[in-house]
Amino acid sequence: MREDFLAIHEIRKSFGAGDSKVEVLKGIDLDIAQGEFCVLLGPSGSGKSTLLNIIGGIDRPDSGEIIVNGERMADMKEKKLTQYRRKHLGYIFQMYNLIPNLTVRENIEVGAYLGDNPLSVDELLGTLGLYEHQKKLPNQLSGGQQQRCAIGRAIVKNPDILLCDEPTGALDYNTSKEILKLIETVNQKYGNTVIMVTHNDAIKDMADRVVKLRDGMIRKNIINETKTPADALEW
Amino acid sequence: MKNPLRKRLLPELKGELGKYLALFVMFTLFIGLISGFLVADGSMIKAYNEGFTKYNIEDGHFRTDKPLNKAQRKNITELGVTIYDLLYVEERMTNDSNMRIYPNRSEVNLVCLMEGELPTGSDEIAIDRMYADNNKLVVGDTLENEEGRIYKISGLVALPDYSCLYEKNSDTMFDAQKFGVAIVSPDAFAGYRSEFLYNNYAWKYDVPPQDEKEAKDQNAEFLKEVNDIIHLKDFLARQDNLAITFTGTDMGGDRAMMMILLYMFIGIMAFVFAITSKNTIFKESTVIGTLLASGYTRGELVRHYMTMPVLVTIVSALIGNILGYTGFKNFCAGMYYGSYSLPTYVTVWSAEAFLLTTVIPIAIMVAINYVILSKNLRMSPLKFIRNDFAKKRKHKALPLNAHIPFFTRFQLRVIMQNMSNYLMIAVGVLFANLLLMFGLALPVILNDYSDQLQNNMLAQYQYILNYPTIDENDSKLDLIMMWMEYQNAMQTENEDAEKFSAYSLKSQEKDVIVEDITLYGVQPDSRYVKLAIPEGTVAISSAYAEKYSKDVGDTITLKETYEDDIYTFTVGQIYDYSGAIAIFMYQEDLNTTFDLGEDTFVGYFSNSEITDIAQENIGTVIDLTALTKVSRQLETSMGSMMYLVDGFAVIIFMLLIYLLSKIIIEKNAQAISMTKILGYYNGEISRLYVNATSLVVVLCMVLSIPLDNMFLDYIYWAMMRIRISGWLPYHLSLSVIIEMLVLGIGTYAIVALLEYRKIRKVPMDMALKNVE
Repeated sequence: MREDFLAIHEIRKSFGAGDSKVEVLKGIDLDIAQGEFCVLLGPSGSGKSTLLNIIGGIDRPDSGEIIVNGERMADMKEKKLTQYRRKHLGYIFQMYNLIPNLTVRENIEVGAYLGDNPLSVDELLGTLGLYEHQKKLPNQLSGGQQQRCAIGRAIVKNPDILLCDEPTGALDYNTSKEILKLIETVNQKYGNTVIMVTHNDAIKDMADRVVKLRDGMIRKNIINETKTPADALEW
Repeated sequence: MKNPLRKRLLPELKGELGKYLALFVMFTLFIGLISGFLVADGSMIKAYNEGFTKYNIEDGHFRTDKPLNKAQRKNITELGVTIYDLLYVEERMTNDSNMRIYPNRSEVNLVCLMEGELPTGSDEIAIDRMYADNNKLVVGDTLENEEGRIYKISGLVALPDYSCLYEKNSDTMFDAQKFGVAIVSPDAFAGYRSEFLYNNYAWKYDVPPQDEKEAKDQNAEFLKEVNDIIHLKDFLARQDNLAITFTGTDMGGDRAMMMILLYMFIGIMAFVFAITSKNTIFKESTVIGTLLASGYTRGELVRHYMTMPVLVTIVSALIGNILGYTGFKNFCAGMYYGSYSLPTYVTVWSAEAFLLTTVIPIAIMVAINYVILSKNLRMSPLKFIRNDFAKKRKHKALPLNAHIPFFTRFQLRVIMQNMSNYLMIAVGVLFANLLLMFGLALPVILNDYSDQLQNNMLAQYQYILNYPTIDENDSKLDLIMMWMEYQNAMQTENEDAEKFSAYSLKSQEKDVIVEDITLYGVQPDSRYVKLAIPEGTVAISSAYAEKYSKDVGDTITLKETYEDDIYTFTVGQIYDYSGAIAIFMYQEDLNTTFDLGEDTFVGYFSNSEITDIAQENIGTVIDLTALTKVSRQLETSMGSMMYLVDGFAVIIFMLLIYLLSKIIIEKNAQAISMTKILGYYNGEISRLYVNATSLVVVLCMVLSIPLDNMFLDYIYWAMMRIRISGWLPYHLSLSVIIEMLVLGIGTYAIVALLEYRKIRKVPMDMALKNVE
């Protein structure tokens, strides 16, 4: 593991203006190492999703800076930011966000197209347990299968960072564990840095680093010495 | 308390400005145009119909070789008619036109003064308003005849017996540039030499016929009886007089065409509304779910989502009607004034126009929106909140080979997903291209006709000679002397000249305009018409074959002009000649068939001008100018309309594609947003979504050309048969196809640019919204 792969300094972000202005992030400092599994934990409104979006280059901070692999995000123009997302990031959402008119295979190919050395789609379909569903449309799949497909789309290009925003938020207990296991496997097998936003306290146990946020500030930043495999998590 | 949902209307209008603006422009333009047309057409038809009484239009007119004497006048009057003098002279003007000059009328076919004053002085003349327009003459200008007499134009008039400026009833088309009518004061008219006067008389029945059939019988009876009293040079009942009736028929025909256009437009719009309504539900799914869950009834939501499209339609109808009654009406009336010599008209409110252009579109808008919204709002609130449109779950993906490049597969999926939109685009492109093809092809057809004729004329000149007038009272010796004199006077030394005989019969095909058919009798070894017909058959011109769908072996039945005799011919050859609806046979056969006498001939074919026959002995010269009269007139009268049709087609094309492709992008906004997050460039996303539409549009454009060509060919053929004497062959030139494609692609490029802009504007946080 190399330190400071992702360095976040004094990030501030607010929404609205005047009296209705709300400061969502109040100076976040965080360093994440390459290949690290980091969980951002916190209640609703704590600013964890906003932080994730800023790391993902979807949103810009009001101040502070993020350095990814030695590059300052603030210096990146629109096109460069797109390139950053294209080359380095994989995104997994709570509501999957699959493209409804594409099959499972094609949804994964949407991600594969962006990578310079993408993983084999067939192999990945097998790994994800979706091989026999590859010709189906997203609405013919269960929630868990859709999320697996979304994970496939995110990791097929073998990104440096995998951003997961409440990936189990819409899933039942068993399916959630299945998905968490998959993310854990991906992290271990491909060595991607994983940043996962969740409000499920139990998930913190499978992470290398746990960052607890409340009211836009980091309340705790802990290195987890004894990780629990996703399989063994209970909530 | 008022429904708080009303407050959403303004933001909705702002948010959907593009859609509502496109609908507004399309509706306003169309409603304006149709309403303007119907109002102008209705007002003018009313003025035209009222004109029969207002201007006391004749029941017919006849011409004799000598002025009627008292006894003849008395005998004719006793047949139950009133006779009016309608004498005229014809003068050749220096601007290369023929002018028919009447004295001012006080009893029949009364003059409508459009501008200036009626002539009073001996050098004053009031000319037809349209002839003036076409020859760029205004009140105060002068007009000179070939003898050097100069007239001062005192006014512009419309003569009700010349609402359409047909010089001769047998003309294929009127020519308001090369022929005009005018009036001078009775005193000035008295100054014309009697030998130049045409002894023309109008009649009106004492007991007018009640209907068309009675008029026909009455005319036939009158013709028979008057023929016994005098020697007729011409006899034309009002019902058969194109100069009077063509305008009414044409206005009725235009109306029918506009109606078809309107229904097609309404049909297309109905589908567009259906698609936009469905899209609204799709887009507003979560809002609808929340409102339903909060206790709002489906009825309230249906009414809410209907309000804005219906409001936009109402406003469009209102503004469209205002435009219709002002600018568009004047434009449409101008088009009629550009074709016909119509009297002044008063704008009348048209209930039909209001119904067709306002009530029906609004009703359709309400009905379509109501049905679609009611049907699609039946799902449970939860399903709306989850954006879970149950029906879609059953859809299976069409298998696509994984070897097809990913982008192509993606684009194919976009096409499959939006089939209903693309189907509408196909129908819209088909419709718009039909209009565009009509607008672009017709001028080319008219233009090419002259070029084509130039290489396809029977001869550069066809001279039709004037027959000597025979008076029953003349002695036999006088007749023989006159005949010999005629024979001498009609001879030419011109080596190019070749005699031919001719006869004219009337066509009598069901559902086709009645027209004069010229039968040529040519010499067996003719240099100009090379016949190869089996005995007992005739050749027909290619124009004849095309218009009447005749082929070798078919029979043709024609009727004698003023009598009931019927002639039947068998087609033995299609002769390549598009200049006229004509029949060719050997001179001897023609003379025998019509009892004309063995040596009879009526004129000469010649490739050079004949100069040794006196002008007064030459009745008509048929040269390229005469043959292209029809195309010239159509060009003059329809030119401005063609630009309108082109413009309209382009606007419809653009708005329709814009509206439908906008829906496609909106429908996929979530996916577009997601692809942006994933790191796709805007250019790549445009390739995925815009290229799919581009592919469909270009494909539709290309495929629509042969289809539209087929439709237009048929419509044109049917229109020519019903409305136009003569024949202009239809063809679609390569230049028109290229022009259509360039215009189509150019127009689409603008839409594609707007689509690209829209894709760029799709925010990335759209995909994040349903996370919370």
